[in-house]
Amino acid sequence: MQQINQNYFQLFDLSESFDLDLEKLSEKYHARQVEVHPDKFSGATEKDKLRAVQLTSYLNEAYSTLKSPIKRAAYLLTINGLNVESVSQNDLGMDLLLEQMQLRESLDALPKDESALKALGHLKSEVGEKLNLKQNNFSREFASGELTQAKRIFHELQFLHKLLLEIESSEEQRLGY
Amino acid sequence: MALLKISEPGEKLAIPVHRFAVGIDLGTTNSLVSTSSGQDIEVLPDDAGNYLLPSVVQYSAEVDPVVGKIAISAAINDPKNTISSVKRLLGRSIEEVLTAPQFKHYDFDTQRTDSIPAIITAAGIKDSVQISADILRTLVDRAEKFLGGKLEGAVITVPAYFNDAQRQQTKDAARLIGLNVLRLLNEPTAAAVAYGLDSRDEGNVVVFDLGGGTFDVSLLSLKKGVFEVLATSGDTLLGGDDFDYLLAAWIKSEASPTTELNPMEEAELLRLANLAKHQLSDQNETSLNYLGWSGVITRAKFAKLCESLITRTISTCRRVLRDASLSIEEIDNIVLVGGSTRMPIVRDSVAEFFGKVPLTDFDPDKVVAIGAGIQADVLIGNKSVDDFLLLDVNPLSLGIETMGELVEKIIPRNTTIPAAKAQEFTTFKDGQTAMSLHVVQGERELVSDCRSLARFELRDIPSMVAGAAKIRVTFQVDADGLLSVMAEELSTGKTAEVQVKPSYGLDADSIEKMLSSSHENAKEDMEIRALREAQIEARQLIDAISSARSIDGQLLIAQEAVRIEEVVVELQLLVEQGTSVQIHELTEELNRLSSEFASRRMDLHIGEALRGESIDEVEQ
Repeated sequence: MQQINQNYFQLFDLSESFDLDLEKLSEKYHARQVEVHPDKFSGATEKDKLRAVQLTSYLNEAYSTLKSPIKRAAYLLTINGLNVESVSQNDLGMDLLLEQMQLRESLDALPKDESALKALGHLKSEVGEKLNLKQNNFSREFASGELTQAKRIFHELQFLHKLLLEIESSEEQRLGY
Repeated sequence: MALLKISEPGEKLAIPVHRFAVGIDLGTTNSLVSTSSGQDIEVLPDDAGNYLLPSVVQYSAEVDPVVGKIAISAAINDPKNTISSVKRLLGRSIEEVLTAPQFKHYDFDTQRTDSIPAIITAAGIKDSVQISADILRTLVDRAEKFLGGKLEGAVITVPAYFNDAQRQQTKDAARLIGLNVLRLLNEPTAAAVAYGLDSRDEGNVVVFDLGGGTFDVSLLSLKKGVFEVLATSGDTLLGGDDFDYLLAAWIKSEASPTTELNPMEEAELLRLANLAKHQLSDQNETSLNYLGWSGVITRAKFAKLCESLITRTISTCRRVLRDASLSIEEIDNIVLVGGSTRMPIVRDSVAEFFGKVPLTDFDPDKVVAIGAGIQADVLIGNKSVDDFLLLDVNPLSLGIETMGELVEKIIPRNTTIPAAKAQEFTTFKDGQTAMSLHVVQGERELVSDCRSLARFELRDIPSMVAGAAKIRVTFQVDADGLLSVMAEELSTGKTAEVQVKPSYGLDADSIEKMLSSSHENAKEDMEIRALREAQIEARQLIDAISSARSIDGQLLIAQEAVRIEEVVVELQLLVEQGTSVQIHELTEELNRLSSEFASRRMDLHIGEALRGESIDEVEQ
């Protein structure tokens, strides 16, 4: 029976690792949904209905966490006893900070209208590639049990991820969404 | 649950009963009702064979409200009492409505404090919920007549982009006529179900739903009976009506009337524009006559007039693709829904954007009602949920106000529902005992740009130094897309909970009401606790007296014994039936009556103890 505090990987019968078969995850998610979704309990007691809502909410949260690489990385570190909320100066290398500053400057320097869209697209794929590379590093360090090293890479991932979101939102502003 | 049902011997074996449930498409322009006839889902016609019920209600002082076709013809002569497009009023504040051109010929009641738009009609003041309820009642009557029995429930569809207030009000309208709402279902999702179950297609499907007054685009992944919404977006103030208004404005400017239009002329202008729009779906041009002016409008001219509206719909498609992280090439099919997708300019623009001809095998008017009927059949228990499952999302981000009037998003848009998220807050001043929370819905960063859903205050936080109190706020979005917020104070282990269902345009009064009702509950809880305490106290005394009498009964004076016995019997009765105060008072009296007896016992036992015998030995 599914529990509200069950480990997300156990919930989907998956082994605890950063590399995940997303297709399999989605299949397991759908199979679990059929068991707990409120639609199955529309004739049930208020108590069972509420439980269905809570279980499904938990299942949805678990799925969205494992589906997203950055959230999955944070979750893996957390269940292994690391506090991802706290970042110390040593966690971040000087070269990373410099690179971040450069990328940010090039984002700010772009014109505020549609003419920036092309450059934004380039910047987006540049950051995307860096993210992919770092994710591979994270996966390797985590798999070999180098948790401290994995946490350091995670914080780098966080930086890049945040930057990517900013690029996307500046795209949206220029597209008029 | 069914496994636990045990039949009495001789009892008739339960035959699976077909339970009456319907799907209702409560539209801006037209509404429909569908039901399962055992195998298929049927859209139900009225006595004259019409499937569409125009969502128009005419109120008069003498008779019950008239809904549908007859009301439309009345609109020309009785515009102030004939309400159409009421769906556009749902969830809106009176201020928003007063400035909207399409509602200017109604007399709104501006005195109301609950800020739900209400119109002054010949039958009294009618608010948007009541008017919607009158449309629902007509559909329910139609279905019950067809089925020959009472309905047990309904699935009602709403635009995917409806916010919390609009959803709440739709549910309230059903509640007003005693209709059990099994689920609020998003219109594009309903359409996808009807389409997907029929075609057995799999892959990524875009549902483009342009109705009379609302617009939705949803992107779904269809896989092995699972309908998973990946992203949805829309505009609840964009629909076929807007094409009418633009055309009407053009006709007016061409006819250039010398005087202000009266309400009847306004109504006639809108009717004419609507008629011309429909004709342009079948022919290349149509002639117009209005207030002595005559002219011609071509399809191309109409397309030019409505260009901005089309641009808005395409921009929404782009946003949905982006939110789902899919490219145009990854879309397998496009399904058109809503009467307004009959317009060639709409079809052509969608086909051009996606580079694919949209599917039009379904009647765009009926497909949503059919999907709702299918879901109703499942939820009422006629059909198994194993056949298919819907996974929908919340269309708008939910958040709370933080310092500097900024919004902190708690549940972002396109999160699969049901969804729950907890966030912890703390006090920022020493001794702070109250905290106010402002829940908003929308994508913008500033509170003032989002829709306010609820404001509530959490009181009685234990007084502590700043930052010591821990308040956990839980947001829960249910399968209807409705939000409830719960706040708990955790620091002392004692949890205080306030549950507030966000409502439309909550003003200070209604919040006060909500809070005082939660205080009333607290009062009730206190009374229950006092009663329990009094009952325990009384029972303990009765037990003590009874055991004392069995030991030292000889110490009781006869008269005393009778009186005590009387009161014990009376108190035993009160414990079962009395209030905490009554029980407490009689317990006190029994205590007084027995105090002499108790002190005589004490004297005796002390004397015995002094003689070197233990109480225990004496008792034996």
